[in-house]
Amino acid sequence: MARPHIEPFVDRDVDFKNMDLSGMPNGIKYKILSMDTDNGACTLTVQYDAGFKQPPGFCYNEMEIFIQEGSLKVGDKLCLKGHYFFVPAGKSLPEITSETGALLLIFYNFGPPSFQESDENHDNCDPSKYANVNSYEGLDWTGNALYPATAPGCLLKMLHYDEKTHGMTFLYCMVPGFWQDNISYHDCAEEAYHIWGTSWMMQFGDLPTGGYFWRPAYINHGCFKSDHGILAIGRTDGDLHNHFHHDPFSTPKENAERAAARLARQRPAMYKWILTQDHNHVPHDFENPDDHVDPTQSDTAQIINPDGSHWP
Amino acid sequence: MTVGSQIGTGNLRPEMTNDEKKWVEKELEEQIERYEIIVKQMEDLTKEREEWVADFLKRIQTRGFHWHAENKRVISKDEVRPRDGRPLQVVY
Repeated sequence: MARPHIEPFVDRDVDFKNMDLSGMPNGIKYKILSMDTDNGACTLTVQYDAGFKQPPGFCYNEMEIFIQEGSLKVGDKLCLKGHYFFVPAGKSLPEITSETGALLLIFYNFGPPSFQESDENHDNCDPSKYANVNSYEGLDWTGNALYPATAPGCLLKMLHYDEKTHGMTFLYCMVPGFWQDNISYHDCAEEAYHIWGTSWMMQFGDLPTGGYFWRPAYINHGCFKSDHGILAIGRTDGDLHNHFHHDPFSTPKENAERAAARLARQRPAMYKWILTQDHNHVPHDFENPDDHVDPTQSDTAQIINPDGSHWP
Repeated sequence: MTVGSQIGTGNLRPEMTNDEKKWVEKELEEQIERYEIIVKQMEDLTKEREEWVADFLKRIQTRGFHWHAENKRVISKDEVRPRDGRPLQVVY
């Protein structure tokens, strides 16, 4: 499952469309930022009209919601800008209304948008994973604990962290005058949306308010700067390691090979064990014996082309 | 891999309805158009980008390269890999 490299894209450059997918409530306008070519998972900028009203119900697939502007009333709770929701598949939310309207960012993680009116959870829902927080008021900025880390002045608020994959959803900011002179790539896909402000990358130029990217693994990005600062929301589909370097012309294949060579140097026992134990399947995890996530079978594509071909 | 949680069932109705399939197909067609526009926009930046890269290579050999957080080191000329005619592709 994968999405093509969409970078950069500015949602302010396109118009909203009316959501006409059957079953979805009225009063929703949207812009698609990126979509998975296999399962329809997608990231959307969404506008709820003033007076929006949605009865209790659930989405069949997991979703994350972030309020950029305006407000939502979720049941009895008034949720303002900066509010973040992690909603497991099939989790019934109470009636949602918006008196003034709301500008949202919605991530549908495993399929297209859907809505089933219901005041009860789906039978197979795991509601314990539901979470919501006002990220502007309820969370503090923290320094970047990664090694190697981004330059000082890039701060994070963790919104969601997947304990198995280490994939995460986070707010990040760059202070005015931020500058980082290196080129980075990661072993995971990375997605981000500028809530406010403009940053610059050597490959892609300026990314302003409403700017977005979906970047598959191993693609160079940076150096970086922001004259006046930014506020953004980002996501990864796995562990975020900063592979810094200074070759602007290296390709994703070279970058992946370099990352594997570094793994062989830094974790030689594990590297040798994987290569030599006749593993044509994902090794057994005694803590998670029922896991069936096999990147060699179903999730191989890192970079896909418009014609559907992909690498590797 | 896709983003999202691996700690629960991500989609309780993985088979799309016919309406959803049509909607996704249409949006994917538009995504291809969006991708092609991006490729063109990035091609149009080529001249500026070449200057940005030249400036970057100069800076890391004078002011320094951020190798971790605030830590920088100056890159020597022999550490800079020769370009050898390699293209500067940024969208894949």
